[in-house]
Amino acid sequence: MAESDEEVDVLVQRVVKDITNALKRNPNIDEIGVIPCPEARYNRSPIVLAENKLGIESWCVKFLLPYVHNKLLLYRQRKHWVDRQALVDITCTLLLLNPDFTTAWNIRKELLQNGVLNPEKDLYLGKLALTKFPKSPETWIHRRWVLQQILHTFSDANHKKNEQGEREQANAVRSQQLSDHLARTLHQEMNVCSDAASRYPSNYNAWSHRVWVLQHMAKGNIKVFHDELSSMRLWVSMHVSDHSGFHYRQFLLNELITELCRASASTTWLAQQQSSTVSNSSLHQHSCTERNGELSGADTASEEERQFSLPTVLQLFLQEMELCSDLIQSFPGHETLWSHRRHIFFLWHQWRTEHQHNCHSKGENVPVDVSDGNPGMLVQSSVGQGESVNCKTHASEPMEVDTGLLPDPHDSKRLKRGVLPSCPPSLPSEHSFVSIILESCCNYEQRRFALAYKKWLGTVIGLQG
Amino acid sequence: MKLYSLSVIFKGATKANLLKAAYDLSSFSFFQRSSVQEFMTFTSALIVERTSQGTRASVKEQEYLCHVYVRNDNLGAVVIADTEYPQRVCFTLLDKVLEEFSRQVDSIDWPSGSPETINYKALDIHLSKYQNPREADAMTKVQAELDETKIILHNTMESLLERGEKLDDLVAKSEHLGNQSKAFYKTARKQNSCCEIM
Repeated sequence: MAESDEEVDVLVQRVVKDITNALKRNPNIDEIGVIPCPEARYNRSPIVLAENKLGIESWCVKFLLPYVHNKLLLYRQRKHWVDRQALVDITCTLLLLNPDFTTAWNIRKELLQNGVLNPEKDLYLGKLALTKFPKSPETWIHRRWVLQQILHTFSDANHKKNEQGEREQANAVRSQQLSDHLARTLHQEMNVCSDAASRYPSNYNAWSHRVWVLQHMAKGNIKVFHDELSSMRLWVSMHVSDHSGFHYRQFLLNELITELCRASASTTWLAQQQSSTVSNSSLHQHSCTERNGELSGADTASEEERQFSLPTVLQLFLQEMELCSDLIQSFPGHETLWSHRRHIFFLWHQWRTEHQHNCHSKGENVPVDVSDGNPGMLVQSSVGQGESVNCKTHASEPMEVDTGLLPDPHDSKRLKRGVLPSCPPSLPSEHSFVSIILESCCNYEQRRFALAYKKWLGTVIGLQG
Repeated sequence: MKLYSLSVIFKGATKANLLKAAYDLSSFSFFQRSSVQEFMTFTSALIVERTSQGTRASVKEQEYLCHVYVRNDNLGAVVIADTEYPQRVCFTLLDKVLEEFSRQVDSIDWPSGSPETINYKALDIHLSKYQNPREADAMTKVQAELDETKIILHNTMESLLERGEKLDDLVAKSEHLGNQSKAFYKTARKQNSCCEIM
């Protein structure tokens, strides 16, 4: 075993070289790990590669880490010169073992700005580090910095395009490439977040990164948000106590509802599209055009989309409440589910209040008939459609009222699945849900959460309404 | 919610005999999987050893819950799940597995059998099917049949041990655990007490 300074020096250089070579030769490495192994065995490299996983035997870590730490700090204090390639290799080794070492990430930021490193490489390094340290805040922070660099290049390229009108064709190809690249990056980020979230329960860092990515790379892109919401459905059903996962779902819902309302408020969907692209940065212009490309029917469907967006909002709330009730009943005693319910009901309550307010302020004499006090809400199964009518009327389409009375496609789907059609959530319906739980369940925790929810309904919602 | 292992174990006069096991260790880091598997086997056998005939118990160990059922004929089964996974479904699964196993494997083979000699292949299928408890069996169907109050709950593994016995000693003595697993156990212990880099 290496003990003297010289021996450590040789060992560390060898390990750093081995890791660098392993990563170079196997671009498909998708996980790193430390292999518990207190003593060095034979004269073998402590770097192990198996099935695209890179392992480091634990005995060498205690030599490796202090050595590379020191070297980097000395370089930082300008007491010791390290050439660029060595910096790349050392920071890589160090960050795989201790990704929260900010100085190393900062050195890589400089290397990236000098063009020594490319952003993809750093995203990849971060992804590997996250397989061992799925929470590592510094890794997530660095990741966002790198993504911002990519976004900058993207918007720069777009500016150039606008300036040089004559080379339009070449630019169109180039910008298509860029937007493809951006779509790939977005997809990759979602995968990295999912992976980290399943490696560590309630991984707040991973979920808030996911929120950031959507806000910066897919703002206003209803399709992406919709896809996320449906792909998250199974995940939350399998992680009923992961509060961070549910919080992400709440974020998605909130964004979708805001977007859908915005869409229905403007006179035409297309005009709204254009105005948003003008007001937003040129980056968003691309995500929007790309979206239209993907959804070939988006333009033709825009008219319908506008009319149906308010019922869609209602549909979103209904489905979310249904999912929540189902999970609460299937998995008793998880506080996360109950606080999700609070959030959804609060969001719904707020949306309805605002919506009513908008109606009156616009001077339309069609009140949105979704008041809490209406007891008919509980028994009338057609109320859901009745409201759709009102919502549509709000979108000033009186001629379309009749179509609202036709069975809603979503409703018929629900009926096929054998689930009763739901009424829009209301205070009485929430109270009756709580009563059903209290009557049927003897799980202590579940009863406690149900009572707390009841109290919350009375104090928070009751006082507002 | 996740199920990590499902094993059928015979409770012999002095020690437990593993008959068949299935694992789903995909959520563990690649280089830990073999150690984790050894530990799950070790823990499952220990729990069956310390559980008396005709009882159901749930043992909490860190973020895991080990559910055990040892029947009156000394045939036992253990499922290791996370704390999110519904307990009732685990016991339904154990009942089902034991019933099926005793139908397919002759009881003469129980005391001396081993995973290599026992011919019972359904464990892997059950384990993957029950990963999503709602798709496995209608959860509600069996709920009423199981009297939850009769399930013994242990808050730590230590509470299964006898006076003066220590888990660390049992780990050190175990023949089932390799050196790497024992090292893994030590680091895991250390990590619990203070934050270290590895």
